[in-house]
Amino acid sequence: MNDHSGPFLLVNPDRCMGCLTCEVVCAVAHSRSGALSAAMVAGETLSPRNRVVQVAATRFPTQCRQCEDAPCVRVCPTGATYQTATYTAVNQKLCIACKLCMMVCPFGAIHISSVQVNSRSKPAAVKCDLCVDRADGPACVAACPTHAISLAHPRAVMNEANQDSAQRFLAALQAQDRAANAVNRTTEGTSL
Amino acid sequence: MSHSPKSLVRSIDPATQEMLDLTQKAGIETIWDRFDAMQPQCGFGETGLCCRNCNMGPCRISPFDDAGPKLGVCGATRDVIVARFLDRMIAAGTAAHSDHGRDIAQTFLMAAKGEATDYKIKDEVKLAALAAEFGIATEGRVKAEIAQELGKKLLGQFGQQEGALAFTRRAPLKRQQLWTTLKIMPRGVDREVVETMHRTHIGVDNDAVNLILQGLRTSLADGWGGSMIGTELSDVMFGTPTIKRSAVNLGVLKTDEVNIIVHGHEPTLSEMIVAASRDPEMVALAQKFGAKDINIAGLCCTGNEILMRQGIPSAGNFIQQELAVATGAVEAIVVDVQCILPSLVTVAGCFHTKFITTSPKAKFTGATHIEFDEKRAYEIAKQIVRAAVENYRFRKPGQVHIPNVKTDCMVGFSVEAIVHALGGSLTPLIDAIKKNQIRGIAAVVGCNNPRTQHDYGHTTLVKELVKRDILVLSTGCNAIACAKVGLMLPEGAELAGQGLRAVCQALGIPPVLHMGSCVDNSRVLTACAAIANALGVDISELPIAAAAPEWMSEKAVAIGTYAVASGIFTVLGLMPPILGGPAVTDLLTNGAEGVVGGKFAVEPDPFKAADLIEAHINAKRRDLGLAV
Repeated sequence: MNDHSGPFLLVNPDRCMGCLTCEVVCAVAHSRSGALSAAMVAGETLSPRNRVVQVAATRFPTQCRQCEDAPCVRVCPTGATYQTATYTAVNQKLCIACKLCMMVCPFGAIHISSVQVNSRSKPAAVKCDLCVDRADGPACVAACPTHAISLAHPRAVMNEANQDSAQRFLAALQAQDRAANAVNRTTEGTSL
Repeated sequence: MSHSPKSLVRSIDPATQEMLDLTQKAGIETIWDRFDAMQPQCGFGETGLCCRNCNMGPCRISPFDDAGPKLGVCGATRDVIVARFLDRMIAAGTAAHSDHGRDIAQTFLMAAKGEATDYKIKDEVKLAALAAEFGIATEGRVKAEIAQELGKKLLGQFGQQEGALAFTRRAPLKRQQLWTTLKIMPRGVDREVVETMHRTHIGVDNDAVNLILQGLRTSLADGWGGSMIGTELSDVMFGTPTIKRSAVNLGVLKTDEVNIIVHGHEPTLSEMIVAASRDPEMVALAQKFGAKDINIAGLCCTGNEILMRQGIPSAGNFIQQELAVATGAVEAIVVDVQCILPSLVTVAGCFHTKFITTSPKAKFTGATHIEFDEKRAYEIAKQIVRAAVENYRFRKPGQVHIPNVKTDCMVGFSVEAIVHALGGSLTPLIDAIKKNQIRGIAAVVGCNNPRTQHDYGHTTLVKELVKRDILVLSTGCNAIACAKVGLMLPEGAELAGQGLRAVCQALGIPPVLHMGSCVDNSRVLTACAAIANALGVDISELPIAAAAPEWMSEKAVAIGTYAVASGIFTVLGLMPPILGGPAVTDLLTNGAEGVVGGKFAVEPDPFKAADLIEAHINAKRRDLGLAV
């Protein structure tokens, strides 16, 4: 059963230096060689699944939000794009590179690139898969030199927000109590 | 005429806007398109926090206190990394100017020895003055002999190992003593560049202040060394610039003539191209192919060199080079070194234009290379001009689009020309400053940069300064920007404040004086030194300032640094990659003033930059007991 708690990549734009390291390690993590120099020597097409954008002076990486009612899944005519319990995936064997998923993605997070399927080079949709096959989790999270990217779990984020707001609420309550007490003391003082 | 919004954002110059509309329509990629495609640019590089000096790196220091590494792999702090990189930029800039200076000195010596017969000792007065300055006997000696001794002496400055560079003696004694005390007196041009490269190697100088001091010394080897040698010997060989009239902007290209653009920096090549273009044989050949004549136009600083010496019009500044070719009216763009966009190969490929490289130091894949040799200078120049003339028949009239935009200008204000205009000495200028007719002097210089709207920073700052009765000395790409908007015409005085206007009108000069190329910033140093010496004060005590509103090159970093090290307050319009090093940033924008009397400020808003310069000039006037 899906409890809607799949993780996603959370970015802090205040931290991003726009260095594109996340793009490079993303491409490398999804390369056959698995290392930048080896992939370059092998002449592999390196294609990142994320993209650093700039809005005014702020830069930050954008990638798939792992939507749970994903337009890319709904629109796919061959069933290549599908939903797992934790992320939206592409079965490149089934993909016919029709670009419909590209058209409907509101985040521009999916595109067509050359991939190897059964030793055959073919165009297929590629998107962020949260590096599910990587033991240490997403490569971009590990590589970001300023820790601007993290893997967020919705429940944990929610819990943290609950805790934060609860603490603020309690603090405000206590402050109000203290103020009320102080007023009471003053009032008592004058009545004497 | 209405231009595309993109063109309007990119430049304030109508000729540039018109050509940008055209390149956008034709799908010709320009420097602006590549700048846009490059966004976002890496914040580590932008703040100077990326170090690639050894193969343990690349190292990137996080500017955030609570995340990421704080030291390089070797242990270098962010200030050390920033200082090392800044020093390397200064060394590269110094190397560029100085290698130009060395080429000039070598050609000069060859000419004096009779080995490069196409070059002459044109200015004997300046030769005599330099001989006197260097204690070279002139009695009973022919000019070739004097020139040989001078040439050897100045060429020797590059490899000098000890002592002080000879031209530093032009600086006020106080300034020289300060440099000696601070141990930043430049010893030899090459030595300072080499030592900077050594010190910034892994594990050598790891004190940010000590590194910056060496950066200052290296830059001084540029301003008072390589650049000054380049300027002075160019003057002797090609003539010290005198006041003359010309025109600037893309409209100087002609529809019915062979257009040859000379682009780059050293006058050695451009002067010969100009001479060869006047050869009757070449003109006849041009006419045979149906052209009326041969038209030479400059670009960048070699353009400034022939503009101020020969009155040859300039087609524009740095960022217009691709657009000049895109007019489709250029038979050849002939280049030597520095600030030449490699993309010219592609743009020239869209037209009949030949892109001709000439320096063994600067080859461009896809260009036609006709190697220049000073010993056969005229012959090679003729070969280049012939190639251009023969190319005229391949011009496609349907592709030709020359904006009808050009502006007249008055140029050629060498220190000697200024003194001459003032009636034989700098005293009238100094008196005007004392009387507060002219409140001070600002040298506004430097490049263009697609990071900021083309010519806006240059012209807005200069207009603001002259409005406030501050006389502007201008070189490089700022000079062309000012000329384009009429600031270099005597009528430009109408834009000046009352005091400056009266002085300009009395002398018949513009409020912005064209002092030449970027190497010619040494003329600014010579002028400042002469004024300081006349007043018996140090350069740092004068009501003067410098600015580089649209800078981009490493040469500009060297220039800004030698201005500061010479005691001049310098305002940059764009931030250099130093913000990642808080101690270095504070030293350059604050602490330096207490050490060398000059400092940097960074202010992108030209109006605020003018405020900073005005406030500085007022403070210096007060200190000198002059009215404000």
